Amino acid sequence: MDRRTFYMFMSPSLLIMLLLMVFPLVTSIWLSMQFMTFRNINAPEFVFLANYLEVFEDRKFWQAFSFTMTYIAIAVPLQIFTGFLIAVLLDQISKRFRGIYIAAFLMPFIVVPVVGTLMVKQLFESGGLVAWVYREVIGARFIFTEQSVKSLLIAHALWAATPFPLVVFFAGLQTLPHELVEASMIDGATRLRQIRHIMIPHLRSLFVFVGLISIMDSYRVFDSVFVLTEQNPIYKAEVMMLYTFRTAMSVQRLGKANAMSVITVVMILIVLVPFLLRTYKEQTEER
Amino acid sequence: MKRIENRYVLALIYLILTAYAIFSVVPFFWTAIQSFKTPRQANSRVPLFIFEPTLDNYSDLWLKAIPDDPVFAAIVLVAIFGLLVAVSLNARRFPLPRGLVYMAVLAAGFAVLWSIPGYIRTQTFYDYFLNTIIVTVGTICISISIGCMAGYGLARYSGIMGVVILVVALGFRSLPGMAYILPYWWFGQRSGLYDTHFLLIITLVAINQPFTIWMLRSFFMNIPKEIEESAMVDGANRLTAFIRVIIPIMWPGIISTALFTMLLAYSDFLLVRILTQSNWTLTVAISKYAAGEDPGHITLAAAAAVSAAVPIIIVVFIFQSQLVKGLTSGAVKG
Repeated sequence: MDRRTFYMFMSPSLLIMLLLMVFPLVTSIWLSMQFMTFRNINAPEFVFLANYLEVFEDRKFWQAFSFTMTYIAIAVPLQIFTGFLIAVLLDQISKRFRGIYIAAFLMPFIVVPVVGTLMVKQLFESGGLVAWVYREVIGARFIFTEQSVKSLLIAHALWAATPFPLVVFFAGLQTLPHELVEASMIDGATRLRQIRHIMIPHLRSLFVFVGLISIMDSYRVFDSVFVLTEQNPIYKAEVMMLYTFRTAMSVQRLGKANAMSVITVVMILIVLVPFLLRTYKEQTEER
Repeated sequence: MKRIENRYVLALIYLILTAYAIFSVVPFFWTAIQSFKTPRQANSRVPLFIFEPTLDNYSDLWLKAIPDDPVFAAIVLVAIFGLLVAVSLNARRFPLPRGLVYMAVLAAGFAVLWSIPGYIRTQTFYDYFLNTIIVTVGTICISISIGCMAGYGLARYSGIMGVVILVVALGFRSLPGMAYILPYWWFGQRSGLYDTHFLLIITLVAINQPFTIWMLRSFFMNIPKEIEESAMVDGANRLTAFIRVIIPIMWPGIISTALFTMLLAYSDFLLVRILTQSNWTLTVAISKYAAGEDPGHITLAAAAAVSAAVPIIIVVFIFQSQLVKGLTSGAVKG
C-alpha cells in the first residue's frame, strides 16, 4: 500500500483523534493557566502558574495522591498474584469444567463498573450478607468509615480487576512448550520448581504487560471510588481522579482541576513512556 | 503441563477454584435476591433466603403507573420481541440480503422500544435506558466504520508512520480520561452541545478509537494479502476490494471489536456524568441510587443494578467465545 492510500484510509480516524484527543490535551494545559469557575466560562482570567502552585500546596491533593499510591501498591500485586495462582490451577483441571469456571471468573470484569460496585456495596449495607457475617464474627456493626471504605475499595479492586491477569496468564500457559515441561519432569523437577523455572520465565513478558496495564488502570480508578464514597462523602478515601472531579464539578474551580489533571498526566508518564517504548520496539521488529 | 493425578491435591484445586468462583459471583447472587424483597425484608437483621418474592422494586423503577392489564402488556411485548428474534435467527430463509433483514429487525425493535411510553406510563429510568441505547449504538456504528478503514490501512502499510500512529494513539488512550473530559465539558458549554447525545457519541468514539484500531488491525493482519490482490488484478480498485472482498470475511473480527466497543460505551461513567445534565445514561442514573436515606433505596438500587447488568450479561453469554478471543489475542502475541 502506498502512502497516499494509507492516509486516505487513515484520515477519518486520524482526524477524530487529532480533534478530540490531541487538541483537548493542549486545551487542558491552556485551561490550567486560567482562573475559571462556572460563572466566567466565556471570559477566563489568565493567571499563569498560580493554579499549579495552589495544587502543590493543597493538602487534600497530596492526601488523594498518597491514597492512590497505596491503592496501586496493594491492589496490583494482589491482582497479579491471585490471577496467576488461579490461572495455574485452572490449567490443571479437566477441559470440560474450565468453561464454566471462566464464565464465573469473568462476571465481575464484564459487568458495568458502577453496577458492580453497587452490587458489592449491597453486601455491606445494613441487612447485607457480609455485614451480617461481620456482625456475627466481630460483634460490631459494619460502618462506612475512612478505614473500612479504603479496605473495601482494595477488596473491590481484587474482585473486579483480577479476571484480566487471570485470563491473560491462562492464555499464556496454553502456549507453554510441552517438550520443556516433559524434559523437566524426567529430570525430576517438582511442581513448584516447574512454576519457578519454566512457567514464570515463559510468561515474563506477560507479567510486565499485565503489570503496566494494571498500574495505569488503578491509577485512573474513578467509578468504584465515586460509588463507595457517595454516602455522606468520605473525603479521606478519595483518589486523585475523584478529587479532581470534585474540584471541577462541586467546588467549580475548573482551572485548578485542569492543573491537577495535567499533573496526573505528567506523573503517569513515568510508567507510560517505558511501556510505549517497549511497544514501539516490538511493533517495528514485527513489521 | 502433565496433569496432577493425586486425588487429594486435585480436590484441593477444585476447592480453591470453586471458592474463587463463589467470591466472583456472590455480589450478583445477593443483589438479585435483594431486588425481589420488600425494603423491610431486605433490612432484616438476619439475611432472609426464603421469602415471598415481589416485583414491586422493578415496577417502581420502570413504571409510573402499572398498566391496567400488566399480564396482557407483558405477553404482547414478549410476543413482539420473540417474533423479531425468530425473524433474525431465520434471516437466511428470506429472499432478501441478510444484512437488510437484520437492519429491518433492528429498526423494528427500536420503533417498538420508542413507542412503549405511548402506551405505558414509564419512569425516567426508561428514558435513561433509551439514551443508553442511542449512545451505545451510535458509538459502535461510527467507531467501527472509521476504525475498520484505519485498521485496514495500518495492517497493510509498512511505513514507519503506521507504527508511530499506533503507539502514540495507545499513549493517548492510556492517559487518565479526565485530561480530555474537562476540555470536552468546556467545548460543550461554549458550543451549546453540552447535554446532547451527539457530544457523548463523538467523544466516546474518539476515546475508544485507539483501542478500536489496534484490535481491528490485528484481525486484518490475519487476512492474507493475496485475497485483495487477486481482486485488484481483476480490476477492482483498493476501496472496492476493501468493501466487497475484505469486509465480508472480517465479520468475526468486527463483531469482536463491536462487542468491546459496546462494553466500553455502555459502561462509561465519568464522561457521561460530566457531559450531561439530564440526558443521562443508565450508569449515571444508577449511581444516584448509591446513597440514600430511606430504607427503600437498598432494594431499588438492587433492582436498578440487576436491570443494567442483565442486558450486558445476555450479550456476553451469546458472544462469550469472541470475548475471550479478543481479550487474549492482543495480549498473548505481545
